[in-house]
Amino acid sequence: MVVGMKDALKLIGISVIACCAVFVCTLFLNYNIDITAMKNEITMAGGIVMYNAIVSTGKVVSAVSGGCLAVTSVIMLLFYVKNYIDTHGKELGILKALGYSNFKISKHFWIFGLSVFIGCALGYAAAFLYLPSFYELQNAEHLFPEIKVQFHLYLAFLLVVVPTVSFAVLAVIYACFRLKKPVLDLLKEKHNYKATSSKKETKDMPFLKELTRSTVRGRKSLVFFIAFSAFCFSAMVQMSMSMNELASETMAVMVMTIGLILAFMTLFLSLSSVVKTNAKTIAMMKIFGYSERECNGAVLGGYRPVSYIGFAVGTAYQYFLLRIMVDIVFADVENIPEFKFDFTAFAVSLVLFIIIYELFMYIYSQRIKKLSIKSVMLE
Amino acid sequence: MIAVSDITKSYGNGDGKTQVLKGITMQINDGDFVVVLGASGSGKSTFLNVISGLERPDSGSVTYGSREITKLSDSELTQFRKDNIGFIFQQYYLLPNMTVENNVRMGADLAGNREYREIITAVGLEDKSRKYPSELSGGEQQRVSVARALAKKPKVLFLDEPTGALDEQTGRQVLDYICKLHKRLGFTIVMVTHNQNIAEMATTVVKMNSGKISEVSTNGRQKTAYEIGW
Repeated sequence: MVVGMKDALKLIGISVIACCAVFVCTLFLNYNIDITAMKNEITMAGGIVMYNAIVSTGKVVSAVSGGCLAVTSVIMLLFYVKNYIDTHGKELGILKALGYSNFKISKHFWIFGLSVFIGCALGYAAAFLYLPSFYELQNAEHLFPEIKVQFHLYLAFLLVVVPTVSFAVLAVIYACFRLKKPVLDLLKEKHNYKATSSKKETKDMPFLKELTRSTVRGRKSLVFFIAFSAFCFSAMVQMSMSMNELASETMAVMVMTIGLILAFMTLFLSLSSVVKTNAKTIAMMKIFGYSERECNGAVLGGYRPVSYIGFAVGTAYQYFLLRIMVDIVFADVENIPEFKFDFTAFAVSLVLFIIIYELFMYIYSQRIKKLSIKSVMLE
Repeated sequence: MIAVSDITKSYGNGDGKTQVLKGITMQINDGDFVVVLGASGSGKSTFLNVISGLERPDSGSVTYGSREITKLSDSELTQFRKDNIGFIFQQYYLLPNMTVENNVRMGADLAGNREYREIITAVGLEDKSRKYPSELSGGEQQRVSVARALAKKPKVLFLDEPTGALDEQTGRQVLDYICKLHKRLGFTIVMVTHNQNIAEMATTVVKMNSGKISEVSTNGRQKTAYEIGW
């Protein structure tokens, strides 16, 4: 078998993200379906306004968090498939050389959908267990009649089966597309670097600076992930701290948890990949006498500016998203305070981000330190 | 001078433990061209890794002049390699995302060598300096690897089967470059190979068998890369 269960289990990042997405979507969508069924029973004026606000919030939260997490999962899946094909070029090339068609090889990539199934199933089950408490929280002021948790088969189908099948199909199609390379390119694990036409581009730039630049430029997907992890951290942490007057504490904790999980998973995935893909470069640098500090700086240092850009974008994103929510969703709700940029939340999240990011960098620099020259060379 | 004294090295543990080097003692003089010959599994690559400071022996010592490198810490050993050692491997190990020029700069920057373009010209790659390794033939890649090693102006150059992946003509070309530069710059060469003919180019030939040195001989007259058989 080309891709095994073991490979699918490495996609734990996708499972975690799928779990978060389905958890949030199940909570809000299940609640929305159940409360909509009781719409006629809500008679109090305050109840109707609250009903409208809750239904709109549910839609926005499901669309934003579900959509955002789904897009992340798709990008991660494509990244995993591409990475798998890049790092297993020899095995796949041999199969192609023996006469296996692209589709015959790529159809085994369906197994990557399994990671989505695990995440979605766990997320759905966890949300269903939490739904009674969530219903109570949503109706804390008893503006609505008591709502009982109902199981909706089509929702389960939509949130568990559809994503699983979609991701499995996507993995197969993308793998088939990536395998459309000449056999020799796969066998030689040939990289698509091409000679530069511009003479001034690399002129007199020190080797370490050039290496940093080329490491960052060479893996654009990693640049995205690192920026995205900073974006998630920044947006979700600041949003959860700023929304205490707009939503419940549970909601804030949920938003922060999702942000942290996303940030850690993407950062973990990206940095692991940076170290793995540069293992031979680092080993050669060590052989030639470059110090640990120089190796770390050249390979990991280039991503620092990227992460701070991600943090800045996340700050702007959360501010405008909350503004839009206040202006549109809570337009009819009274006593909603004017929303202002929360400088305390910004400062606290920035300090936390710097500490966590640098801690991650330190951990990965230790992994670089432990890279055995011989094991890398024997690969 | 490099003095190797009674070095042993094993891999694995328990029943699977294999002793690869079984007490090797020898000396290499400055400027020597030493070829280490041996069949696969004789321990010649491990010997090269140990004397170059890439691996630590289980026992014994390796001394460069008065400096015993087996007692150095990891960071001291890195600094030592930076100041003294150059490597050329059978598989080249060029950085795939860097051009020829930048691969050579990897070595040159360590020695503060601003004249690295001369070395690129010396190995005949001046017109390919902006190409990436994947755009070069095997022989060209190995010449980049030679230029990279020499650009850091090593005192000792270690070569592990440098012609192993090359055809005869390209192999001779690469060896010729190395020999000419050796004569001009006077560094010490330690080359591991299983090709007996290459030994005729060396000043000293060390034969290894089952982790031990079985024979050491010296050549009265060194042949050039184009005089030896293949």
